Amino acid sequence: MNYEQAELLDRLAAEYALGTLRGRARRRFERLCSQSAAARRALHRWEDHWTQLSSRLPPVQPAARVWSNVSRQLFGETSAAPRATRRRGWRLAAAAGLVAVALIVGLIVRELAPPRLQTLAVLGTDSTHPVWRLERRTPLTALTIEVVGAVPPATGKSYELWALPRGGAPVSLGLLPAGGHAERKLSEPQRAALLAADKVAVSVEPLGGSPTGSPTGPIVIVTNVAAPG
Amino acid sequence: MSRVGEGQPTRPVPEPDGAELEALLARCAAGDRAGLEALYARVAPLLLAVLLRMLKRRDAAEDALQDVFVSVWQRARQFDPIRGRPLAWLVSMARYRAIDLQRAARPAVALTELTGLESQLPSEEALDAGEMLGTGALLRRCLEQIAAPQRRCLLLAYQEGLTHSEIARAVNEPLGTVKSWVRRSLLALRRCLES
Repeated sequence: MNYEQAELLDRLAAEYALGTLRGRARRRFERLCSQSAAARRALHRWEDHWTQLSSRLPPVQPAARVWSNVSRQLFGETSAAPRATRRRGWRLAAAAGLVAVALIVGLIVRELAPPRLQTLAVLGTDSTHPVWRLERRTPLTALTIEVVGAVPPATGKSYELWALPRGGAPVSLGLLPAGGHAERKLSEPQRAALLAADKVAVSVEPLGGSPTGSPTGPIVIVTNVAAPG
Repeated sequence: MSRVGEGQPTRPVPEPDGAELEALLARCAAGDRAGLEALYARVAPLLLAVLLRMLKRRDAAEDALQDVFVSVWQRARQFDPIRGRPLAWLVSMARYRAIDLQRAARPAVALTELTGLESQLPSEEALDAGEMLGTGALLRRCLEQIAAPQRRCLLLAYQEGLTHSEIARAVNEPLGTVKSWVRRSLLALRRCLES
């Protein structure tokens, strides 16, 4: 990218972050950000600077209905006060997301295992590149984890597996092997979390695993687990 | 329909810690609802303050806050920790939501309403007193180097979410002047921020 382009990019990013870039020009810059890492970097620099102006505002406590509406909208919990709504725009806003991260997606695998060893999930970098296969014993006392594809390099980091019990905090199921095959006995809390989980996730953690007991690094895979057979 | 200022200001809270917010976003990305609730408790009051300044009405700001947290949950996995500054990510999401809502709803803002805002504008005194920014903050030092009328245009745009033409009316200058002030101030600001 030449100097003039970099200048133009920065000017657009500055006016976007400030809010004076409007209308079609605003949408065009959003599209540019979804394609250009340089545009995103320029934007993030300005956002970081400007946020200093917002972070000292005296906070204002929202009405209780706001959280109950969020919770109802996302999780279908019904304790909320009613709100007359216009619900449409946010989907578009979310779709116009500025950060285009190549998310590694998981794939759902229906049950296809022999009776005593059931495939729970296949974790992969996309639907055609499986990396780990998780299998469970019946009854659920242990997991086996088999490396079935190339593990993305993560120098100085570990991949950690998490059970995501519905409505609860993630529970670590230990580190994922870089090669071969591992059998992992489950503790009672791990077993309970996995039985209550409809999804598992993989995060990138410091070598040896999360220091806090919760995911601290980026979540690179979230995938459904097959229902117990 | 309530106006700015009726919201109960809560006691000052320290600026949320980046590492804490990052951990909460990671929990959201992993589908942990309690993580979202904790994040909400931590930053919703600040985001509501940002939204109130831009949207002026309590009901509109709270609706936008709801939208923002729905998006946070849906997009938490897109937050890139390498990017750093989770607060900037959250505040930006709120500001951009407000801008999009203004776009839909605001050709209608009357001049009287804009001039009525004057009393709520960040004064240069406030800026100088460091109320808006921590003492020593880089942005504050750089803003101070920009002449007062130009700086006011930047603050009207950033904090109140005004467009070029709304700023022009609020400061009673021609649109072309305001546009070039904004452009040049941003250039000066960048040179200062990078030096």
